[in-house]
Amino acid sequence: MRELPSKESALFKQILAKTLAMKGLFLNHMDKKEDAREFVRKGLRSDLKSHICWHVYGLLHRSDKNYGEALKCYTQALKIDKDNMQILQDYSLLQIQMRNYEAFNESRHHLLQLRPNNQRYWLGLAISYHLLENYETAERVLKIYEGTLKPGQTNYEHSEMLLYHNLIIDESGNTEAALEHLESIKDNVCDRRIWKEKRAQFLLKLNRLQEAEAAYEELINDNPDCYGYCEGLQIAKGINTSMCDNSIDDLTPECEEKIIDLYKDLAQKYPKSNAIKLFPLLYTTGDNFKMFVDEYTQAALRKGVPSLFVNLKKLYGDPQKEAIIEQLVEGYRECLKNNSTFTQPKNDDYVKEPPTAYLWTLYLLSQHYDNKRDTTKALMLIDEAIEHTPTLVELYMTKGRILKHGGNLNEAMKVMNEARELDLQDRFINSKCSKYMLRNDQTEEAEQTIGLFTRGDAPDPLTDLADMQCMWFVLEEGESYIRQKKWGKALKRFHQIEKHFSDITDDQFDFHTYCLRKVTIRAYLRHISTNKQSVNKIYIELYDNPNKVTIIEENEDYANMTEGEKKKLRSKANKAAHKKQKEDEERKAKEDVKKKVDKPQDDDPDGEKLLKTEDPLGEAFKFLLPLQELSPKRIETHLLGFEIYLRKKKYLLALRALLRAYNIDKENATLHNDIIRFHLAGNNHHYLQL
Amino acid sequence: MNIRQATADDLLAMQNCNIMNLPENYQMKYYFYHLLSWPQLSFVAEDHKGRIVGYVLAKMEEDREDEPPHGHITSLSVMRTYRRLGIAEKLMTQAQKNMVEVFKAQYVSLHVRKSNRAALHLYKDTLKFRIHEIEKEYYADKEDAYAMRKDLSQLKALT
Repeated sequence: MRELPSKESALFKQILAKTLAMKGLFLNHMDKKEDAREFVRKGLRSDLKSHICWHVYGLLHRSDKNYGEALKCYTQALKIDKDNMQILQDYSLLQIQMRNYEAFNESRHHLLQLRPNNQRYWLGLAISYHLLENYETAERVLKIYEGTLKPGQTNYEHSEMLLYHNLIIDESGNTEAALEHLESIKDNVCDRRIWKEKRAQFLLKLNRLQEAEAAYEELINDNPDCYGYCEGLQIAKGINTSMCDNSIDDLTPECEEKIIDLYKDLAQKYPKSNAIKLFPLLYTTGDNFKMFVDEYTQAALRKGVPSLFVNLKKLYGDPQKEAIIEQLVEGYRECLKNNSTFTQPKNDDYVKEPPTAYLWTLYLLSQHYDNKRDTTKALMLIDEAIEHTPTLVELYMTKGRILKHGGNLNEAMKVMNEARELDLQDRFINSKCSKYMLRNDQTEEAEQTIGLFTRGDAPDPLTDLADMQCMWFVLEEGESYIRQKKWGKALKRFHQIEKHFSDITDDQFDFHTYCLRKVTIRAYLRHISTNKQSVNKIYIELYDNPNKVTIIEENEDYANMTEGEKKKLRSKANKAAHKKQKEDEERKAKEDVKKKVDKPQDDDPDGEKLLKTEDPLGEAFKFLLPLQELSPKRIETHLLGFEIYLRKKKYLLALRALLRAYNIDKENATLHNDIIRFHLAGNNHHYLQL
Repeated sequence: MNIRQATADDLLAMQNCNIMNLPENYQMKYYFYHLLSWPQLSFVAEDHKGRIVGYVLAKMEEDREDEPPHGHITSLSVMRTYRRLGIAEKLMTQAQKNMVEVFKAQYVSLHVRKSNRAALHLYKDTLKFRIHEIEKEYYADKEDAYAMRKDLSQLKALT
């Protein structure tokens, strides 16, 4: 082949580069990650000045959730073609995903400059200023945007936009202006409920109590079971208490009187509301309390409400209330047994309670004594209840719980299984039963049981649970494997949860543009600002035992080996893995031909590879970072940090972790233990000695 | 029990509640989609510790030109231990109110497995839905579904 002239040659190279990159992108979508990367790199090597190649390389990193690298690639691409809308769009998505608000704001500016006629870019810019808490500019941008809209149109998007505008004013702290604006948009808002909520909140904040009172009354009429509305009404009526505050000592008698009047009145208007019945129990004392709780409990027992105990338990923070309840319910049991009434009948002309009232009273009392850890009494009562009605699932569930609390996990599991067999159609009892099996370390049985409700077309129950991002089962199973000292499998489970978490975070990506189009900005902002916290909850669940990760990662057998032994083991493992990989590849190739399935297979079902990691502490460290970022106020975070740093012999960081833990709770027992361990470690390193 | 509109913070707990209770499960992305498209239509019931014990996940069917705007219940569930408090009904009432008020829904629809007698009883007798038609092999395992509907025009007259 003859050489092309230099101009054509360069052109050809450019086209070749782009083609290679695009082929890589296709391969990536077909889940052929390795090949994809190779082609994109080849493309990039052919033409380092191609913005397309850099862009595609960025997209590849982004699909691997490697946001940092993706950002670098986009930056390169924009250096070459700074006004490329597509790249700028992707760039800004990545910035918001990484919560880099400054940079996001810059990109949104740039995008708007390029397309000033597109309304969506105005909205995007407003959001970027809002996220920087520059409310004034955010509002100014939004006003320009509103000015471009045709007047008089009332639709959902417009309504959402107006409410978003109101949110900006509200968050700027100017409640007066926010209320004024809210009144002005009244006729154009379809979301009436939120409009009313906002108005009530503003009135309360501005101390316009009478109007606030009326506003909250209207809201309660819309939803009489909302705690927030009841609290709002209380405050508007000058009753100062808060739902989460357990101490009612500061409540004056007048205040108590007001509360009683308020809830008696509301209960008459809204007899079906549970919230309205529950509130007075929180805020009354002595005889008043007794009267309310008597009525509340009797009604629930008559009806057979299984959650009665859970509701009453909230009141047990006050030992006096607990005593009153015990006395009342013991009284019911006596009378129901003898006369089928809750209290001693005053004359012969009385109405008998249904027989189930006695049953639910036994049920309640049994839970009450279980809570006091009087296991014998609790069991006696629940057995009487079961004898009374042997077909009620709830009774067996409670018996199982009592046995669990008493420490007999095997018996607890058996009783829970009896409960399950009473209602094979109910997944809830199936889940509970599987959980009790895991607590009793019967992992295989648990998997079989939970499998009765997983999809039939899934290869096995665990795959379906993984597809559906079910976390509780995997978490429980992981903990069971720790108890069984099956480190690899335990680790495997925890890594799966980590994967769910990173998938869920990545899922946000598609919604950055979607919400801009749908104008559901308020929901969106809540979404991106709180997702971190939700994620945090998973981490906390995962690490509620702070040593868990270190225990596993520092798998004793492995940690106690000498370097030589480790090396041998590793090379053995590598060989085995290599052999397995080869076999797998061959098998996979055959299967591909047969079924054309190219979903990557799990080549490490027992977590053996995870266990043989070269750097267990490094792996553990990966789990520590998000905890440090998301839960710096939890002592467990720093105690876990200490474990890792100490093992890595990073003494300064270990000390910092200890100091942070000390500042959170200096009475923590583990912390004291750790301080001594730190001291002992120091003794072995003379440079640490003071 | 506190009945309130669902927020982004509730979604993980809703997903957990769903997979504990029901055989029809969804990935988190689907929950995101509901809440970010129609934030007014999903509600939760939480106990005094803030634990989610029930939820309704709902959406609008807006895009089909052959049908008037109507709501759809994707999933409704209350933990077994929190039944007999009317929670399902309260969650549904709230969702339906907003379907009408915010999105001008004329009716609300849902699907239920033919074999699920408990759910059928709830929808038919407690929540006043009626069977609109039977959809053959609606579910992945080929089971038929009852397509149920409830007219919301009366609710409309009240607002």
